[in-house]
Amino acid sequence: MSRDGDKERFRTVVVPHLADAYALARWLTGNRADAEDVVQDACLRAFRAIGGFAGVNARAWVLTIVRHTAYTWLGKNRPACLIPVEDVSALEEEQARHGTMPDAPTPETALLAKADAARLEAALLALAPAFRETFVLREIQGLDYREIATVTAVPVGTVMSRLARARRQLFAAIAQDTP
Amino acid sequence: MTEPPRADDSLLLVHAYLDGELDAARALEVERRIASEPALAAERDRVAALRRLVHERLPPEAVPAGLAARVERLAPLRRESSWRALAASVALAAVLGSGVTWFALRADQTDAVADQVVASHIRALMVQATDVNSSDRHTVKPWFNGRIPQAPRVVDLTHEGFPLVGGRIDVIGRTPVPTLVYRHRQHLISLVAVPATAEPPWQHRASDGYNLVRWRDGDVAYWAVSDLGAGDLDRFAQAFRTAPSEQ
Repeated sequence: MSRDGDKERFRTVVVPHLADAYALARWLTGNRADAEDVVQDACLRAFRAIGGFAGVNARAWVLTIVRHTAYTWLGKNRPACLIPVEDVSALEEEQARHGTMPDAPTPETALLAKADAARLEAALLALAPAFRETFVLREIQGLDYREIATVTAVPVGTVMSRLARARRQLFAAIAQDTP
Repeated sequence: MTEPPRADDSLLLVHAYLDGELDAARALEVERRIASEPALAAERDRVAALRRLVHERLPPEAVPAGLAARVERLAPLRRESSWRALAASVALAAVLGSGVTWFALRADQTDAVADQVVASHIRALMVQATDVNSSDRHTVKPWFNGRIPQAPRVVDLTHEGFPLVGGRIDVIGRTPVPTLVYRHRQHLISLVAVPATAEPPWQHRASDGYNLVRWRDGDVAYWAVSDLGAGDLDRFAQAFRTAPSEQ
């Protein structure tokens, strides 16, 4: 495809999803300045790969690239932010064996409603990346389970359990800190 | 599976239910269980409260202008595009001049309409999906009256899984046309009604990550566009076509 054709496709496929890309990068990196770097890198990658895009879900495609770019970027610039994937798997297996979600206490909904933005943001950023990304893709970006499975490259069952765990950790964190 | 469901699985199902991931039969089953099991009802309330919290405390942020500008520079608008359009119209004029075929024009118009339908949908996703924002067809339909000659057919497809979001006016060619916006999960569907031309009654196409379905009903051609999968978009089109007309 010609370079002009690539540019045109980039404008149709990638640019409309810039806000989604920025939001995901922001929650994965934990701050806005890093998110700008990540999105710019991701857009460059997307631009180079645009000729190969043949899918139907442009947003999922863009978010997949953003996610990949974000983790590469964090590994290089903020290695302390990343928990190796094996640790997450071990954690999940452990919980699967015990068959419980050990994130009690489970607060009253009234308590949840009182939390302010800073509290919620801190609780969200305290989640392990695998849980945080699942929660963000679902509750902030509105992807369905299958799309989340595509973007994060895990089975739908894993999306379900990660999402439930992310929510329960957030309940617990917010309940602990809210007077 | 013969094992009875574990407590964990029930909780996961409540989450899946609230995420709109269950089919009608399973959703009904979960609703029954929520009604009879306080622990599940409490989980439902917590998930809903957390969702409200996220919605209220973490509103979407605009892309920083500097970032948008840097991305823009990756793919600047082409000056030569007007030349290409001019070349195309010269070629078309040559075809017409030679009196070869009327269908070439039709086919070309369909492509142009498809492009504009997709373009309007993209703009709607980025800026503003609707000019009138209501899930009530009795609000949406009258809004079009007085703005364009003919208000579109508006049907309620909530039970088919496609709630109405609202309506807007798009401009296709130079004609203002009514566009209805429906939703399926988090995907928006733009349904554009344009004056029909003599074309195949039903067709699909995919364009840069968007699916389109086009069909004709009397003198109106409907274009549905979305990033939904082709199957779901077809289901929407069928639901719209077969829905009883408004009173």
